[in-house]
Amino acid sequence: MKKPKGGDTLLFQQIFDGLTLGMVYALIAVGYSLVFGILRLVNFSHGSVYAFGAHIALVVAVSMQWGIFPALLISIIATGFLGILIDKLSLKPLREKKSKPIAALITTIGVSYIIQNLLMIIFGSQSKWFPKIFNYGIIKLGSISVNSTQLFIFLVSLLLLIILTVIIQKTKVGLAMRAVEQNPKAAHLMGINVNYIVSFTFFLGGASAAIAGTLISGYYQVVYPNMGFIAGLKAFSAAVLGGIGVLYGSVIGGLVVGLSESFAVSYFGGGYRDAVAFVILILVLIIRPKGIFGKKDITKV
Amino acid sequence: MKKIIVVLLTVLMVVSLFSGCTPKESEVVKLAIAAPLTGDFAEYGTGFKNAVELMVEQWNSKGGVLDKKVEVVVYDDKNNGEEAATIAEKIIGDSDIAGVVGHFASGVCMAASPTYQEAGIVEISPSASHPDYSSEGDYIFRNNTVINVEAKEAIEIAVKALNAKNIGILSVKTDWGTATAGIVKEIANDYEGVKVVEHQEIIDGTVDFSPVVTAFNEAKPDVVIVVGMYNVLAPFATQYKAVNPEINFVGFSNAYSQELINLGKEYVEGVYLPAIFFHGSENENIKNFVEAYEAKYGSAPSSLTAQAYDSAGIILSAIENTSSIDRSAIKDELYKISYPGVTGQTTFNEKGDAQKTFAWLKVENGAFVEVSK
Repeated sequence: MKKPKGGDTLLFQQIFDGLTLGMVYALIAVGYSLVFGILRLVNFSHGSVYAFGAHIALVVAVSMQWGIFPALLISIIATGFLGILIDKLSLKPLREKKSKPIAALITTIGVSYIIQNLLMIIFGSQSKWFPKIFNYGIIKLGSISVNSTQLFIFLVSLLLLIILTVIIQKTKVGLAMRAVEQNPKAAHLMGINVNYIVSFTFFLGGASAAIAGTLISGYYQVVYPNMGFIAGLKAFSAAVLGGIGVLYGSVIGGLVVGLSESFAVSYFGGGYRDAVAFVILILVLIIRPKGIFGKKDITKV
Repeated sequence: MKKIIVVLLTVLMVVSLFSGCTPKESEVVKLAIAAPLTGDFAEYGTGFKNAVELMVEQWNSKGGVLDKKVEVVVYDDKNNGEEAATIAEKIIGDSDIAGVVGHFASGVCMAASPTYQEAGIVEISPSASHPDYSSEGDYIFRNNTVINVEAKEAIEIAVKALNAKNIGILSVKTDWGTATAGIVKEIANDYEGVKVVEHQEIIDGTVDFSPVVTAFNEAKPDVVIVVGMYNVLAPFATQYKAVNPEINFVGFSNAYSQELINLGKEYVEGVYLPAIFFHGSENENIKNFVEAYEAKYGSAPSSLTAQAYDSAGIILSAIENTSSIDRSAIKDELYKISYPGVTGQTTFNEKGDAQKTFAWLKVENGAFVEVSK
């Protein structure tokens, strides 16, 4: 273990780096949590859906030159529909056959590989350039440099979280979603179109992945087909840490994972950063399986 | 059963009768190419094949070598050691074959090279970079740089072109990356007043460099030597330049790709790297090669393709210089040859490693340009 050089400046810079990285994970983690919260299903295709969203934005913003905001909008719609498609083609048949939850879980892993490889076939496996979003340069706070894009990501994640919470807590469709979460059969008997609600949830999941994909690509300026794999797993760790199914928990979980990574780089070197997220995941599963803000009734993850 | 044996023996005798009475000298000189033409590495093998065929075509249009037509025999080893060993057996059995260009991966080369060494036939690999490969025998050559030569060149650029005193190293955590970073550190210590102030390792595929940049920024290097491909160098440069626009970067030759500029845009301006083959060179020789290759195959030749092209040229030149197709004479000639190829003036050291002259490339106005040393 090496001692990090520098004093408080370095420490604050690391904290800030970690928080931004954490927000990136939080953005993806919210999608995991959303689908899990309503359907009790860990959707492992979420990482690939996120990569898909980034590629759609890439096509609109770079190939067609329509600008970044139309790119974001089109990506949200297209990726939302991809979410619905995944549900209709692979998960709905399983639900109708009343298969075990593990079957759906493994199906999502399969779907993830299909999406990833399709992206590779269509776009090639090389890393591609993505335009910067909301770039007003670097803001100096004392000796700490804060990237304006980082702040933007932070704000958008917060906004996305609020919007999703409002949809779930305050709207009619949100009420239906919560009803489906409680008891799909009873909800059906009460006249709720369960399939519609499930599709809507997947649409929201896809849309949040598209937002995450576009913002993060705009931040790092890199898009490639495998981008969702490690980021998705870390976001999953973040979601579990915060208590999967709890939206604000995902944000806190993301921040913790991001911070730990940032510190891991300076204390142990860059080679260990990926390990940290998974060490956290394992520790959480051992010590507090339901996560920091987890609800008590969650028994299976 | 007996009948079969009798028939077989008779056939054998007749065959040996025919083959025994043809001491007449062959009309062609054959050059073997052994490379992956199918499978995951087919893109490289196809490049080898194209390049060697182009070189041979050019020799034949000038009348061949020693007034004989040159013929290419192509073997597909699928980048598989077992296939390569079988192919090596086939190649040594054909006495018309004067030399072998090939095998792609070091491990595959090393599965075949003992056979070539034992039979005494020259093998030049355009791509093997494993240090042990060329030590397998005096018939075994490589037309590729060994990594410490390139590492020295990278430091040379940092110190001479960029006046660096404090050097940072960013390396990918792979066999190649870790080994190269170690060599860079070692060589850097030999320079007066130069020290390595920070070394960070990253997993290949990392896109978030902010913690790494923070660590570098604290150590304040003048130049960061990036041991990684374009997909590491470009985002790293982008994120570092955002924090510190004054920083300079030196890459390695495998980051030499148009993708580097596509991905890094203005942030890779001023990035230096050493390369033995520069595709956009003004050198007449290289220009002709690039044009001929593009006209024939419709794509630009890569460094490794250029190295395969030169490997074939080296063997053919050696044959012409010694005026014989005696395999051991060709081998002896290779240790003396100085071949002006598209990958620079090539000579081999006593181990059979090509000694290359590097060009220094710099990204300027969105394109690679060659800078004088």
